[in-house]
Amino acid sequence: MKKSAEQQIDQSARLAVSFFVASAGLWLLAAALLAYIAAAKLTDPLFLSAYEFFTYGKIKISQANAFVYGWGGNSIFAVSLWILSRLSQSPVRGTIFLLFAGTVWNLAITFGIAGILDGHMHGHELLEMPKEVWPALFVSYLIIAFLILVVFRTRKQTITIAPQWFIVAAIIWFPCLFLFAWNGLEINPGRGTLPAILSMWFGQNIIWLWLTPVALGCAYYIIPSVLNRTIDKYYLAIFGFWCIAALAPWSVVHHLEGGPVPMWVPAIGTVMSIAMVFPIAVASTNFHSTAFKDISKVWNYLPLRFVIFGTLSYTISSYIGIIFSIPAVAKLTQFSIINEFHFNQRVYGFFSMIIFGVVYHILPQLTGREIGSAAKNFHFWTSALGVFGLLLAYLIGGLTHGVLAQQPSLAWVTVIESVKPYFLITEFAFVILGFSQLVFVLNVWKVLFPNPFTYLNTRPEKKFAR
Amino acid sequence: MNNIFKFSLYIFLTLAFAWLAFVVGAKNQYGDLSQTSESLEENGSIIKGEDLYPQSMPGIAQLGAKEYLSLGCVTCHTQQVRSEESGFDVERGWGKRPSVPRDYILQDEVLLGHNRVGPDLANVGLREYSSEWLHRHLFMPQSVVEGSICQPSPFLYKISKSPTESSIKTETIDKSEIYIIPSLRANRIVSYLQSLHQNYQLPEIAFSDGEEEDETILSEVDTSTSISETNSSSLPTWLSQQITSGKEIYSKVSSGGGMCVACHLPNGKGQPGAIPPLADSDWVLGDKERLIKISIHGLQGEIAVNGEKYVGVMQGFGQPLASPLDDQQIADVLTYIRNEWGNSVSAISPEEVKAVRDSEKDRELTSMWTNAELQKDDSSD
Repeated sequence: MKKSAEQQIDQSARLAVSFFVASAGLWLLAAALLAYIAAAKLTDPLFLSAYEFFTYGKIKISQANAFVYGWGGNSIFAVSLWILSRLSQSPVRGTIFLLFAGTVWNLAITFGIAGILDGHMHGHELLEMPKEVWPALFVSYLIIAFLILVVFRTRKQTITIAPQWFIVAAIIWFPCLFLFAWNGLEINPGRGTLPAILSMWFGQNIIWLWLTPVALGCAYYIIPSVLNRTIDKYYLAIFGFWCIAALAPWSVVHHLEGGPVPMWVPAIGTVMSIAMVFPIAVASTNFHSTAFKDISKVWNYLPLRFVIFGTLSYTISSYIGIIFSIPAVAKLTQFSIINEFHFNQRVYGFFSMIIFGVVYHILPQLTGREIGSAAKNFHFWTSALGVFGLLLAYLIGGLTHGVLAQQPSLAWVTVIESVKPYFLITEFAFVILGFSQLVFVLNVWKVLFPNPFTYLNTRPEKKFAR
Repeated sequence: MNNIFKFSLYIFLTLAFAWLAFVVGAKNQYGDLSQTSESLEENGSIIKGEDLYPQSMPGIAQLGAKEYLSLGCVTCHTQQVRSEESGFDVERGWGKRPSVPRDYILQDEVLLGHNRVGPDLANVGLREYSSEWLHRHLFMPQSVVEGSICQPSPFLYKISKSPTESSIKTETIDKSEIYIIPSLRANRIVSYLQSLHQNYQLPEIAFSDGEEEDETILSEVDTSTSISETNSSSLPTWLSQQITSGKEIYSKVSSGGGMCVACHLPNGKGQPGAIPPLADSDWVLGDKERLIKISIHGLQGEIAVNGEKYVGVMQGFGQPLASPLDDQQIADVLTYIRNEWGNSVSAISPEEVKAVRDSEKDRELTSMWTNAELQKDDSSD
């Protein structure tokens, strides 16, 4: 039987995408476990306190790294390969190199996190892994990025569309960001607070220019292709894209407000953060006015429900983020646990939800096997509940924390006592999220490896003979 | 947008512009800040004082910064007092004045942080915590601050049921009394915390509330003010030059320095049992040749200084390290330690160092001296 061109393209991507999705799932579980331990240590400081491996700081930072580079990195590779090969109608080449580089990437993160837990942490945001692992991470990233860009470059049609811009840009931004940071922190380090600006810039940009554009690209791809209608006001998308590209690298430093850096640094950051209203409004209009034209289909097709949850969460919490970057508000909340709200809304409420949706969308097409809808639904509702509880606790807790912290008459420990209930809620939320992510990983692994033992015993030719 | 090379270039440029401002621009603006003796007074005039600020931390505190980093303390503690327009930090008592970039120029690890689950630590050294209190807090925060959610670090301490030398009495969580003996790492962290303070005015910033400077705390911090500096006018120029250059080598912990200060401390007192004192030490004031030998090749094993036993390892500075010290530098640093902290004996010349180096040129540079060897050499003379 002759396969359609689409099936051939899917088949070329199958092995690499499966590999990245499977490893992303494992990292997600590792991050969930670490997130739970960290949350539990805040409610009970004596929990696991006898072991030096498990200080709160190390666990918290390992969790962020496992999440961003393990889960984030692997899932970015998977969805970029699949979406670009579909849109370009061009097969994935060099699977063996992708698998090799992917293995190196995962091993390097494993060593890096072991290094953090063993006390070899670096003091720069999202560059905390020991510097020995970075060359391996960087080279393996370059290999993967090159092969992703080859797919894009060999596309059948010259014209490009929004999902391609966002994904290709994210793939290119990461190594540029890394080289800028590596130059300024390791090769040619400045004195005093100079590295602190750079580290803040890098850490926040990883979220804004790596995770965020990929998730936006996914939404731009999946919403029109499932609903089978064009993006509403699509002509705005290019404006939204260049707005993010031009504003985000400037806006991220507003977190340094009032700190020991030149005043213009946070001032520019604040102005640019407020200007981020434009790209957020564009993305929101594009996604939601398209989706709400056929809301019943969005609700009934679970992958799309995940994606729209993600885009709504992106819109709402980005606007909240802008409010908190205004100096008068930042005065209260700058160093409070509102920061956890910003991080978690972006990585859980937005990025992860969209990736879940895309993975559920592509897996049946990739493997020809369906995922049980009860399991998917369970995953959706527990995720939604967990994210909602987590973000609400951090938001209200952060406001409480910020307002009380400015009362000179209150002892610091009293301030923290009144935030403790919110820490307890986040602990519960992380338990719920942990279960929900376990279900996700089981769903995915069951489809990828329906019967691991026969899979291992089958000869390779047979495996792909279907 | 359709040509990947053009597209990549634009993508790169969006980042590069921001990088130019925040990295290149900021570096041009304040990358060359240095220590200064000037300070801004209440009345707005700038006065030139005696000492240079900010001062570098003692070596043991610089090592403490690395421990602080590796344990992840920065996750919950900031080290920055925000300006008055953008925060309430001075009112809350996190510092006497907002932090400015110059405060951080001598720190290897600048750990500003951006979460305050715990208190700000930019001025923790001014809060009159004794080192016992800080050790109790590190060991079990809940024993000194009820309701604290700070993480205990019992792995930094040896626990004993009965008091011993250098042990600290404290309580466990269930209120039973125990004695803890701080490890070297715990001592480093405590020294680091005690050295954190921004208790000086700079030309760009004065104290916010105009209170008197806390003289008692300043004088404690300033124990490193040296006799050699105050006496230098009465010394011959060549000697004071040797002493000044020796002091620099002694205190410098980065490349080109001797890193002596990291273990022997700015006050030259060392650590009981591990690091022998240099102040009023029979080894430093005595035989020059022995001193030079140790400086070149290092020393390991048990020795007795002023009748007290010390067991440790000191690496030699003639060794092929990243930057070994030459004859002149070894002569300078030895002359310095023989004329500091109340020591006052003859200088050591580069020629004397060269003579010892030549007589021991068959000895491998990595082979450290032991006490027995040094004594045998003495008796054969």
